[in-house]
Amino acid sequence: MTMEFASFADRAAAIEDVPSDTETVELVADLFVGAGEDLDTVARFIQGRVFPAHSATKLDVGPALCHAALAKAAEPNVTPADIEDRLAAVGEVGTVAEGLTLGGQRGLGAFGGGSDGGLTVAGVDAALRGLAAADGPGSTDTKLDTLFGLFNRADPTEARFLARLVVGTMRIGVGKGTVRDATAEAFGVPVDAVERAIQVSNDVGLVTETARQAGEAGLEDVRLAVGRPIEAMLAQAGTAVDALEEWDRVAVETKFDGARIQVHHDGERTRLFSRNLEDVTDPLPEVVRSVEESLDVPAILDGEVVAVDEAGSPRPFQDVLRRLRRKHDVAAAREAVPVEFYAFDCLHAAGEDLLDAPLTERHARLSELLGDGDGEGAEGGDGEGAEGGVSELRIVDSAEEIASLEEAALSAGHEGLMVKNPESAYTPGDRGRNWLKRKPDAETLDLVVTGAEWGEGRRANYFGTFLLSVRDGEGFRTIGKVATGITDEELERLHERLRPYVRSESGTELELEPAVVFEVGYEEIQRSPTYSSGYALRFPRFVGVRSDKAPDDADSLERVDRLAE
Amino acid sequence: MFKAIVSADTLGAALDSVGVLVDECKIRLEDEALTIRAVDPANVGMVDLELSANAFESYETDGGVIGVNLDRLDDIVGMADSGQLVHLELDEETRKLHISLDGLEYTLALIDPDSIRQEPDLPDLDLASEVVIEGADIDRSVTAADMVSDHIALGVDPDAEQFYVDAEGDTDDVHLELGREDLIDLTPGEARSLFSLDYLKDMNKAIDTDAEVTMELGEEFPIKMHFGFAEGDGHVTFMLAPRIQSE
Repeated sequence: MTMEFASFADRAAAIEDVPSDTETVELVADLFVGAGEDLDTVARFIQGRVFPAHSATKLDVGPALCHAALAKAAEPNVTPADIEDRLAAVGEVGTVAEGLTLGGQRGLGAFGGGSDGGLTVAGVDAALRGLAAADGPGSTDTKLDTLFGLFNRADPTEARFLARLVVGTMRIGVGKGTVRDATAEAFGVPVDAVERAIQVSNDVGLVTETARQAGEAGLEDVRLAVGRPIEAMLAQAGTAVDALEEWDRVAVETKFDGARIQVHHDGERTRLFSRNLEDVTDPLPEVVRSVEESLDVPAILDGEVVAVDEAGSPRPFQDVLRRLRRKHDVAAAREAVPVEFYAFDCLHAAGEDLLDAPLTERHARLSELLGDGDGEGAEGGDGEGAEGGVSELRIVDSAEEIASLEEAALSAGHEGLMVKNPESAYTPGDRGRNWLKRKPDAETLDLVVTGAEWGEGRRANYFGTFLLSVRDGEGFRTIGKVATGITDEELERLHERLRPYVRSESGTELELEPAVVFEVGYEEIQRSPTYSSGYALRFPRFVGVRSDKAPDDADSLERVDRLAE
Repeated sequence: MFKAIVSADTLGAALDSVGVLVDECKIRLEDEALTIRAVDPANVGMVDLELSANAFESYETDGGVIGVNLDRLDDIVGMADSGQLVHLELDEETRKLHISLDGLEYTLALIDPDSIRQEPDLPDLDLASEVVIEGADIDRSVTAADMVSDHIALGVDPDAEQFYVDAEGDTDDVHLELGREDLIDLTPGEARSLFSLDYLKDMNKAIDTDAEVTMELGEEFPIKMHFGFAEGDGHVTFMLAPRIQSE
């Protein structure tokens, strides 16, 4: 028996109303138990999904289409612009939909022309899948009419959740953890087994069905499937000291500044998926080719695609995005932005799932599959951090070794280092402590003061804000302004010190001769068109005057370039 | 087997009247005619079309159903000049339709008819009033109503023997009356129903201004509109469900 959509909507409304997580889990578990043949659909709907997370098919309904459909189903003379006004007032499309008088249009079914009774979960699912499949010139009208037909048949609560489902956010506080716990509770299976099955299948619908039908044993039989991407394992920020304290030995590899790619090779053909599980096979033909040349068994690999220049040095992350987003003229893009693929993990090889194997073993399998087969990185390290498309994994046990590898990675133009627990399993979607990304610690820069602005209020008689520059060959390029971290006393001293170097004054702004060097701390360097260096400092703060340094000793643009990547 | 030759105008008119409601449809190849019936995704507007074998220069078939993408087919037929002949031939093996016109050969991939939404039942309605009206007057009514509102009421006043149109906007209103002398024919009866202009505008696009359209109307009932094309060898019925009239 198929579930009425009204019943699903009422349950969702009840879930939205309970504040506590435990009650939410209970209500979701009840919903799963009562979902009957629609269990898989309900498990997706409750998270605002029509398709499984791994599916390349997306609903792809933009706000404009959703608003047009609501306007069409609403009382006379409500326009899409009216819907947008209401949305701006209440902030959320479900509430807007609920507040409309829908259902004014009768269907032919009421007069004997086919059925148009109440909405069912299965009916909504089928209609939305049909909508996603529509393409071609007239498809926008078909999509509009399909949504209109659904909204027209929805009561107010149904409309609230239908609208949210269409835009992909249910707003009822049901996340991955809730679905996992509710599945365990509903079907009496261990939470861990559910978690693992969701990680390897990336499909809560499949997992809830399996839990109900086959219990714990069934969940344990859920395996990775080539062609069905899973979530990537993620890293936390951390330091080498943390890593050495937690683990005796530390696995270290280059942190590539590119786009995360999951490779699925079925023995003949290869598909590539991005971090958000979109199919990016077509935009990256050279990666497909190189993988197909190296692999002769089915495999799932994790790695990074990096844009490179003519010399093979890495280019900024933004460049690789230009490749991923390219749908047409792939050949031209390929010429403009060459990329290289570095594999660093192997999740599946020749029919065997490797998620639970230790990192070192997975890496050895990776080297066997792609590399020369000895599973060892090149001796000494050339700083490139990779051999034959496989990221080098080095096992070290001292901070000095980590520091020297980091220096090598940075000077080769990479982003920094990854430090990993060599014994750790691959945990999809988990930002755990087993992978740490170590970027160079935000330090201070020594910058030349090349301008100032008069202060305000109490500080009106002094220079209040200082324009800072980096060295670029013989000249200087601006990179930001600093006004914080300076006491009134210091301000007075800085004023006296800088006054002799005023070149010109216009309004509240002064141009200064490069003479004085400030030490300035910051949290991050960002790309920015505001300053002539092309960068800006986030949260700059004055640390002190470097009396020992002349402008020629200040930090260079080249150093900033490297720090920024 | 299906092999036919037909003028581009006739085929284009037939496709247009279906294309205003749906993107894809099933075409039934019957002995004496080609027929199409389709309903829009919201089950609000329906079209029932018959194009008799007499409308074709030649028409041979042993029956069957094909599924087509109307936009695509319409684009191809749109390549032809007015009055030009279009040759159609179904390749049973590849399930493709070969279309040729003036040296242009086009092979159209067909759609599996089972993947197209079910054809609707044709509701049997007993409607009190019948208005026979020129396409041009429907166009005028729809255009005027569209200036003020997104809905249109169509009705017949049996005492005054008038067909009328009302459209109420937020600020402005439109009212239009057509008496016996303005109409081709009128069978008066109590009738008034409210319709979505979105649908009616689309249907209006498929009606020639010089077409003679028979409208059947009732109280809060669907409207039926029948008209002929291809010198009477083609026939279309549109049916549109009403909106609920707020008091």
